[in-house]
Amino acid sequence: MKKASALRRILLYIALVLLAATLLVVASGASPVTAFSVFLKGIFGSKNSFCEVFVKGTPLILTGLACAVAFKTGFFNIGAEGQFYMGAAAAAAVALRCDFLPVVPRVILAFAAGFLAGGLWSLIAAGMKLRFGISEIIVTIMLNYIAINFVGVAVRTFLQDPSSGLPQSERLAAAAVLPRLLAGTRVHLGFPIALALTALVWFIMEKTTWGYEMRVVGLNPRAAQVSGISVAGGVVRSAVLSGGLAGLAGVIEFMAIQKKLLEGFSADCGYTGVLIALLAANKPQLVPVAALVYAAAQVGAAAMQREAGVPSAMVSILIGAVVISILARAWLSSRRKEAAHV
Amino acid sequence: MSDNMLSLAFWTALLASAVRMAMPLLYAGLGEMISERSGVLNIGMEGVMLCGAFFSFAAAYYTGSLWVGLLCGMAGGAMISLIHGLLCVRGKQNQTVSGLALNMLALGLTSYLYKLMCNTGAHLQTAVLPKVSLPLLSRLPLLGEAFFSQDAMAYIALLLLIVIFVIYRFTRAGLSLSAIGENPMAADAAGIQVEKRQMLCCLLGGLLGGAGGAYLTLAQLGLFSDNMTAGRGYIALAAVILGRYSPTGVFLAAMLFGLANAAQIRLQAATNAIPVQALAMLPYLITLVALLLSSGRSREPEALAKPYIRGGR
Repeated sequence: MKKASALRRILLYIALVLLAATLLVVASGASPVTAFSVFLKGIFGSKNSFCEVFVKGTPLILTGLACAVAFKTGFFNIGAEGQFYMGAAAAAAVALRCDFLPVVPRVILAFAAGFLAGGLWSLIAAGMKLRFGISEIIVTIMLNYIAINFVGVAVRTFLQDPSSGLPQSERLAAAAVLPRLLAGTRVHLGFPIALALTALVWFIMEKTTWGYEMRVVGLNPRAAQVSGISVAGGVVRSAVLSGGLAGLAGVIEFMAIQKKLLEGFSADCGYTGVLIALLAANKPQLVPVAALVYAAAQVGAAAMQREAGVPSAMVSILIGAVVISILARAWLSSRRKEAAHV
Repeated sequence: MSDNMLSLAFWTALLASAVRMAMPLLYAGLGEMISERSGVLNIGMEGVMLCGAFFSFAAAYYTGSLWVGLLCGMAGGAMISLIHGLLCVRGKQNQTVSGLALNMLALGLTSYLYKLMCNTGAHLQTAVLPKVSLPLLSRLPLLGEAFFSQDAMAYIALLLLIVIFVIYRFTRAGLSLSAIGENPMAADAAGIQVEKRQMLCCLLGGLLGGAGGAYLTLAQLGLFSDNMTAGRGYIALAAVILGRYSPTGVFLAAMLFGLANAAQIRLQAATNAIPVQALAMLPYLITLVALLLSSGRSREPEALAKPYIRGGR
């Protein structure tokens, strides 16, 4: 009964999105049939374009997981964007500056450094929340800007490639680049890593005492406290895990796609992660689905803009509208429940 | 540095450009402050400003009137803010999620509409508000150029600052608006209509935030580009906290951000020794430090971002 109604709800959302998309296409003066066939061809047209979905989806899976873990614990981490950059910067520092190490340990160390950097960056917000009661929402947003500017400073000073003079680091040695999985496409080892991390996060959150405690803290900190679960412990774990995952998104984008540290290469995937987590109802196992659907929409819409002149900004409108209607539905159904009680 | 850093002319010019850069933040910061003091955290201020920027530009472009542009920009901002109000005040939904979703919606909507506007490939441009120098006052040393040789919207912002200060400091209405943010249950018991007042504050916040976005197009640039607010809505959130939820505080915080921005641009032209990003980081660091220093005696409204459910606990 419950499953069936959930399915019906999802189908309803899909129908509404298609309707809204059609309206937006028509309003931009294109023919819906052309636009949608270009959209689908943009995604499924070639091996390469199809694989782009996984390339674009990989960092979103990780930032989405980051937000889902944090939100489940009641820690409103809006800072995946900054944690992404701190992770990428730490990985760049290790991968580019520790060249006395052989490749494999260097790459592993870069991953560890990226996880730690992201985790510590979000731990600042957790500390300020726990110790001083300062809203983590605001602190993580401030930390985003500090991190973005920090990368700006880094690529102009200690991580700058002296030979180029541009604000960017040296190129990562070819041996240290995460290998591609399919010839002729950009899909890389980061994607299976992201899936493995999804499974790991699901396992931690659902099957371990640690994860159980974190969920209780998120559901009801008061109840957690009286049953002997440390609220601070839950929040700290959640902050480190969440920030670390966002940091890994930065590490993987750096080591597989950009291959140098640059400014502005996250393409807002930290902020998008918040919405991905929400679309996945903060369930780790659903995050890859939401992330890949979003990435596919982006890839298809880019083709639609190129070939049918429909602005790709349509995707942002639709995602925003979907989240808003999810909130509106939650409101209406709570009202209905209230009415039933009275 | 081209000018002598110690010359009066340098500081006069720096201060004047700081005031111009502070204006969008002052508008949006005051709007956010009103919203937050009633208990509604609007992370969607970025989207509010972006809609303000776009709709003011579009209206000014099609009608040729900058003042019609301003009104439309304010209406655009209010639209986003009222959706937020509906979902969060009436619907008791999560304010962070709603705000972020609205930011994304606004980013998509404005970029989409702007693409349709310039389908012909033309470069769209409008006039900008002229500078009006007030007689005598504008000749004051240092402050004259900064505060008395600005455009009309800047004067309006400074007047609004005074009005809002007076309302919150000296009137019953201001007191009741703050009471809602501190303790909605007590306010309700005292006969204040909590939800109605919160919606009103959302509306005011949206109008002001929209004007802040409109300032970028109508007073500064005369054009629109995708995502042109570039995080100013989030900076306005910081300005409210740094300004400790008071109108004068918001003004000083907005000035600090404006000053850092103006200094950064001047440094960029003058030197390569320090990356300007190091300077750009400062206002955010200062905000964090200010948060730390003021902790314990925080001015944050007690019920900020907590939905008030009548008869609930």
